[in-house]
Amino acid sequence: MADILRYGAYLPKHRTPLGELQSFYGRPGRPRARTLATPGLDEDTFTMAYEAATEALAGARAPAALISVTMSAPFGLRKMSATLARALGLAEDTVAYDLGGHPGSLMDALALAAALATGDRPVAVVASDHLVSYEERVCDTLSAGGAAAFVIGASGGFATLGPASRASSEVYDVWRLGTEPEPRYRLEVLFDAYASAAKGALAGLEKLTERPASAYASVAPSQPHPQTLRSLGKLGVSSEQLASTSFVGEIGNLGAASVGVAMAIALDAAEPGQQVLAFGYGAGEGIAQALEVTAAPPAIGAVGRIAGESIPLGTYYRWTRGRQAEPH
Amino acid sequence: MTVSAIEFSRLGPPKLRLYAMRCSGCNTLNPWWEKFHCYACGGEQLTHEELAGTGELTNYTVVYYPPRDFLGQEPYVVGHITMDEGVLLPAPVVDTAPEDVAIGTRVKATLRRMKLGHEGDIYYSQKFVVDPSAQPAG
Amino acid sequence: MRVGVLGIGKTPHKIQHHKSLRDLIVDAGRLAITDAGVSPSDIQMLYVGNVGSVGFNYENSTGLMAAHHLGVVPAGAVRVEAACGTGAWALHLGVVAIASGLYDRVMVVGAEKMNDLATVEGTSVIAQAADSKEEYFSGLTFPSGVALTARKYMQTYGLTEEDLAHTSVKNHHYGARNPYAHLRFECTVEEVMRSAKVADPLKLYEVCPMTDAGSALVLCREEILRDQPEKPQVYITATSMASGTWYAATDTLEDAHRLFAEPAQKAYAMAGISAGDIDVAEIYNSFAIQEPLGIEGLGFAEPGKGWEGAADGSTWMDGKVAINLSGGLLCKGHPLGATGSSQAVDIIEQLRGTAPEGIQRKDAEIGISACRGGPGAVGAIHIYQRLEG
Repeated sequence: MADILRYGAYLPKHRTPLGELQSFYGRPGRPRARTLATPGLDEDTFTMAYEAATEALAGARAPAALISVTMSAPFGLRKMSATLARALGLAEDTVAYDLGGHPGSLMDALALAAALATGDRPVAVVASDHLVSYEERVCDTLSAGGAAAFVIGASGGFATLGPASRASSEVYDVWRLGTEPEPRYRLEVLFDAYASAAKGALAGLEKLTERPASAYASVAPSQPHPQTLRSLGKLGVSSEQLASTSFVGEIGNLGAASVGVAMAIALDAAEPGQQVLAFGYGAGEGIAQALEVTAAPPAIGAVGRIAGESIPLGTYYRWTRGRQAEPH
Repeated sequence: MTVSAIEFSRLGPPKLRLYAMRCSGCNTLNPWWEKFHCYACGGEQLTHEELAGTGELTNYTVVYYPPRDFLGQEPYVVGHITMDEGVLLPAPVVDTAPEDVAIGTRVKATLRRMKLGHEGDIYYSQKFVVDPSAQPAG
Repeated sequence: MRVGVLGIGKTPHKIQHHKSLRDLIVDAGRLAITDAGVSPSDIQMLYVGNVGSVGFNYENSTGLMAAHHLGVVPAGAVRVEAACGTGAWALHLGVVAIASGLYDRVMVVGAEKMNDLATVEGTSVIAQAADSKEEYFSGLTFPSGVALTARKYMQTYGLTEEDLAHTSVKNHHYGARNPYAHLRFECTVEEVMRSAKVADPLKLYEVCPMTDAGSALVLCREEILRDQPEKPQVYITATSMASGTWYAATDTLEDAHRLFAEPAQKAYAMAGISAGDIDVAEIYNSFAIQEPLGIEGLGFAEPGKGWEGAADGSTWMDGKVAINLSGGLLCKGHPLGATGSSQAVDIIEQLRGTAPEGIQRKDAEIGISACRGGPGAVGAIHIYQRLEG
């Protein structure tokens, strides 16, 4: 077992009105998110990771390791975690790990951090993302940017990383071939795969903890699309459990940062004695983990950051040139 | 203004952190570029000193015609920020409308993309955001 | 010290897509050689002021190129660079060369071809005249760096943007009457205030245009000019150079004052005059705020009062000292390497009485040119006198 000592989250302040973007591209139908959290021209997954990590590490003991999670590093063939550690002013002996692959990788990172966090020094975990999407495709993929960070220690935190359960199947819902810049999407496959993975993982977690999904104070899920959250409802998760942690319909898909931002919102509102269910999903794999809150969390006001400032469509296009991507 | 990969590797690492140069002779804190001699006394013994990252805007301008690296960000604020440690540094102040800053505004440092080198490297450096709660330490 | 001005020449200041850098050098140079009544083989040393040929024009060895095309080979030739003070530095070296006694006749050419590049590219080249490696990382450009000085000046002396706008009004009044100026229109304070913002608080009419131009002088020993009494007897009687702050962040108003004040005092002493003896001045004003700062540094006004002459008429043509009757850099533009030499040519025209009608001060006898460079790194003062008999 390991504890969450502190956490942080970052959302860029700009909000692109998705309805206007859909009209611009002539896409039919109701926008599936009200806005997209759009990183500024001078922001990327690295700078957003820095912001979230700075918040999480404020007042924390120097970590022994830093694990960086992203699917859209601004530079390849280099360790983003290493550069991030330098930017954060971490000790020279801080070990840097890069982890990527799918949107649920934050859950993998938490597991690794729990294993690495021994003795006095904690492990920092940072997830950030800004997914690639071209032109009108962004209206489907809801590409947005954000970051979340957690400091994991062997003990002494306000919440314990409890049991975790995984369920996975081989699916092609979101994937990218080799060096292709844009991921491929099959949204209908995503919806099915998410539901299937959630069913398997939640069932497995219930078996481990003897606690059904409906018994948690809140549920903090990966949320690539509003429709994926409906499948949680069919598994016994109530709308109250998702009331504050559901944000994809407001600001879009944060990729690998999605489950982390949801966790930050859930932990902010949690009270000692409550449990939070974190569910990370990616590429057919669902990872459900119970977080046992043992003390008052050092709240950061994450939910207050969902609202941002609207930018005109012209500004969005000037920044992205139609390629909502990392980097701009 | 392009930056080559070699130049990036030479200048890059220090820019990830905000620091100034302390003169061992007269104790003056110089801007970070004064690595050869102290601006106040001419002394040649200067050492890195990290800054806390908070300060006050003591002068500023709003750029409407940016250099190439900043195209798309205009209009943006560039300020002279007197750090709480006493040294004055130039830096952009971002995520704020130009009309929302004034001399005396409190700011704190953050890390942002500054420019791209012509060899594709990204130069990260210090920019500032408005933060009324960013008070001097101690 | 008296260094004779044997000949002068200049090209128009404007966007000249059909002219290359070497065209500008040769055009200005040949005009000066013809005016001097010499041949290229009489020139013993060539000083070429040019700042940005590598960035603007993708060529480097401007001095050597100029020597070839002007036909002064085998005389020595060198390119001089000192940011925006380049032309004045080339002039200084020419003056020193004559004053040293080593040479009889030298030529100074300043030239810049800025408009082969688009404005955004040119802005980046110009930024190299300041600390583009470190300080300008912060998104500063030259206009925005000077804008910080303007705000500091306004704040220190309790001035408004309207107060400073009078400088542009005066410069545009004379620029409109100068056929060699890049911008030739008059404006009011209201029009200055309404012009597009460039870098707050500086507005478009308070910022110089990027221009293409060349200007040249043939200098000689005093005796050579004295022996030609039919030629205008205009001499350079002082040259004084200074360096100052390289970083805008550490450039104070006191530094700006000192940049001109100290070399000006030395120049006045060298020429045996005082500030009150000056009839005409060309003061560097690529941005309007620099004119009041220059006026104060040269001793024409107290600190904080340098702007008043443009408002009350005392720095207009018939005022106590006429400042920038050429329209200044605000109207001529700022052809980096040619500005210092252009200022010299304009003052010499005033002292010769050959400036265009409408900008010729009556009976001008003593003039001064004050050029600056970088954020506050170059101060260059030259004094010129018409000496009959």
